[in-house]
Amino acid sequence: MTAHPAPTADAPPAAHAPEPPADPVPGRAPRRLPVWVWAVPPVALLAAVFLYPLALVAAESVAAPGGGLTLAHHADVLGSESFRSALGTTVFVAVTSTAGCLVLGFLLALVVAFVPFPGSGATARFIDTYLSFPSFLITLALLFVYGTVGMANGMWTDLTGAESGPFRFLATPWGVILAEITYFTPFVMRPLLAAFGQLDTAQLEVASSLGARPLRVVREVILPEARPALVAGGALVLVLCLNEFAIVLFTGAKDVVTLPMLVYQAAILRSDYTTACVVATVNAALSVSLYLVYRAATARLSSDGGRRARA
Amino acid sequence: MLVHDRFARWTVWGLFAALVLPLFLLPLGVIAAAAFSTSWSGVLPSGPTLDNFAGVTRGGSLEALRVSAVTAAVASLLALTAGTWAALVATSLRRRGRAVLDALFMLPVAVPTVVVGLALLVAFSRPPILLNGTQAIVVIAHTVLVTAFAYQSVSAALDRLDPVYSQVAASLGAKPARVLLQVRLPLLLPALGAAAGLCFALSMGELSATMMLYPPDWMPLPVRIFAATDRGALFSGAASALVLMATTLVVLLLLSRVRTRASFR
Amino acid sequence: MGIRFDHVSVAYGDTVVLDDLDLTVDPGGFTALLGPSGSGKTTALRAVAGFVRPASGRVLIGGRDVTDLPPYARGVGMVVQSYALFPHMRVDQNVAFGLRAQGVPRREVAGRVEEALGMTGMADYARRHPRELSGGQQQRVAISRALAIRPRVLLLDEPLSALDAQLRSDMLAELARLHRELPDVTVLYVTHDQSEALTLADRVAVLDRARLREHGTPRELYGRPRAAFTARFVGGANLLPARLTGGRVHCLGAVLDADPADLPPGASDGDDLRVCLRPHRVALGEAEHTLEGVVSDVQWRGSTHRVTALVGGHPVTAELRETPAPPEPGSTVTLGFTRRDAVLLTPEEAS
Repeated sequence: MTAHPAPTADAPPAAHAPEPPADPVPGRAPRRLPVWVWAVPPVALLAAVFLYPLALVAAESVAAPGGGLTLAHHADVLGSESFRSALGTTVFVAVTSTAGCLVLGFLLALVVAFVPFPGSGATARFIDTYLSFPSFLITLALLFVYGTVGMANGMWTDLTGAESGPFRFLATPWGVILAEITYFTPFVMRPLLAAFGQLDTAQLEVASSLGARPLRVVREVILPEARPALVAGGALVLVLCLNEFAIVLFTGAKDVVTLPMLVYQAAILRSDYTTACVVATVNAALSVSLYLVYRAATARLSSDGGRRARA
Repeated sequence: MLVHDRFARWTVWGLFAALVLPLFLLPLGVIAAAAFSTSWSGVLPSGPTLDNFAGVTRGGSLEALRVSAVTAAVASLLALTAGTWAALVATSLRRRGRAVLDALFMLPVAVPTVVVGLALLVAFSRPPILLNGTQAIVVIAHTVLVTAFAYQSVSAALDRLDPVYSQVAASLGAKPARVLLQVRLPLLLPALGAAAGLCFALSMGELSATMMLYPPDWMPLPVRIFAATDRGALFSGAASALVLMATTLVVLLLLSRVRTRASFR
Repeated sequence: MGIRFDHVSVAYGDTVVLDDLDLTVDPGGFTALLGPSGSGKTTALRAVAGFVRPASGRVLIGGRDVTDLPPYARGVGMVVQSYALFPHMRVDQNVAFGLRAQGVPRREVAGRVEEALGMTGMADYARRHPRELSGGQQQRVAISRALAIRPRVLLLDEPLSALDAQLRSDMLAELARLHRELPDVTVLYVTHDQSEALTLADRVAVLDRARLREHGTPRELYGRPRAAFTARFVGGANLLPARLTGGRVHCLGAVLDADPADLPPGASDGDDLRVCLRPHRVALGEAEHTLEGVVSDVQWRGSTHRVTALVGGHPVTAELRETPAPPEPGSTVTLGFTRRDAVLLTPEEAS
């Protein structure tokens, strides 16, 4: 055998004759379908059971009675007192819950990652299993703890002999906020723990060996590392809180009406589908745009991680 | 690592316990305790009983559990099929095509579940397809809601899967279908198991869209729990909730066993 | 079946990772693609396997254009650095995979699996799972799996890189034996390790920065390199600055005859050149040609001393065997070499 150096154009290789001539027709791969064709069945399915229904809701919200388009429903609903108060409540509950989740999740993840104790990993996993349970379980449990005849009020009446206890916040937005903080904190802890796992612990040791106090290390070393994860987790929790329905439904409070609750009440209790569709369109638009922020944040997060992994 | 002072460390752990115990442990404990009680007007519940489970074993709750389990199983299976299919296509598409599929299949996470319920109600109460009041519409709703999670899990697993396995298989003469069935899907089995567990758990606990759609003859357990608590039967509601959690955990446990076996093989 | 790269270029976006590779591997040959990481050698191999599509040029296997053929239709065996044994299949199932995929009749499969495992001495491990095997055993199974389909072309991508030194030397002998026993199989072997390439291959193609720099037998590349990069990368060399003046080569005080046949093609009077000297061909004391320098470093390496002297500011390294008294750093030495051992090259282009 011999392998030839690259033959030049004016000096054709000598020992190249024995190989048979190229045979372009048989043995060629059969013409294959382009890859995107395979995307058609699942996308068609999604379109039929999700995109098309969603489009109908949007269309319904702008459909004029005699045919054609109108913004009258939107003007009516958006101008109504009930919608404005629901929007206010929704945003207040979602923002407060998200802030609570961020603070709580950051503190807990900090302890699990940097001040570990035997069983701290198991605790983190236990908190994570909350995601496997329905959200309304939290509200149900809170009814037993802080409800009118629950544990906390029972303790109070036993101790003071009073007729009833002071804990009445369950029927207010704060009851919803407490439940949402409990349920959604794992969504913040997950990306944080992943980010902390990538943090080089030598950095922390160097920082403390240079005399930095723990709070300073947290502020100047850990927090900057955690920021993308906090943004991503926070945005996701905000979307989920804006959309949360089961927790609100279970509190049974008449004065806590969020946008999803308004949709439910209009459609199921009053059979007013036009109003339901308008509120649903606004709610969905709000959530989807926030979700896009979340996607952008995580995209940056993952490209950040990639850059660090290559470095 | 961060806190070296012994006293400070115990303080931090104390604070950790003070947050975790009431916020995370207490709710589960309370539900478990309430499930076995008749009243709760003091610090601890009173009147230990098993009666709360009577409804579960005899009456409608058992049927509701069956409805939930069947819905969750069918929805998970459908979601896993569609999600895996889409994720497989997405990984072999170019950047732009992949971004489109990602956006489409993750969209159901962003849209409020109540709105998903409303949308299905609006769409399938009119021709060409009338599904309002059928069991199918509940299953479809659950499938739509959990497909995003199946898609996301499988996509993440595919990203981690070393393409060299498929390439070696192809160099050995295996056509794409054989590579998929004999190499890629078996290697994805652990991730598929995890995705199935996630879908099942989410579907078992779904209430928002279901409240908009369920027909009288197909009432899943969460709806029944709500109905019980709504009319003041908190304790039997707690019992049903406990059963719901236990069923979910058992299924998750079984699936994780399949998963470890698949990854250790 | 031979392999032919017909002016093959591969690019990812604007990055050209393989630039106009033109190379022929004759049937039954063992050609190593040698180069540092990022040189394009793995890309060339992947172009043969069908995992990258050339931006231009054609890949031919056995004279047949396979450029547009999918990987599964090319009939090449492939072994990769990470082994890539299917973890969910037993050893025998791994080896049988390709046979089943190619539609070998069921009754023949068992025999062919046994035969393939026998070739690498792994027949006793047929019922094990890959995770129960050591790295070296896994690599043997991977080779058996590739050979089972009786490929006419075998592609090996850094197959020894994941092994430790002892296993690597065992596997090196093993691969050499397999190549002797399977004279019809054309082998393309990608490596960054020059000793693997020199030991195994009968032709070595040296790649650097996406281009083929030189191609020849190991002996030619080592003894008479034609590119400064090859001289440095294959075996290590002193590359001394020189200039062609009046038909003679002036190098750090030494003046060498320059027969036109020795000069790099295209060299003309006044050109900068490089004199390539292998360290073990440089000795202490008087010789046909000498260089005067000051010793800057002496390293004892067991069987040799490695003496580096600065000659006119340029380090020149000599590998001395069994020198009773190596020179002291700071002392002045005379380094001698013969004309025959000096190879004249054009300077390397700047990176």
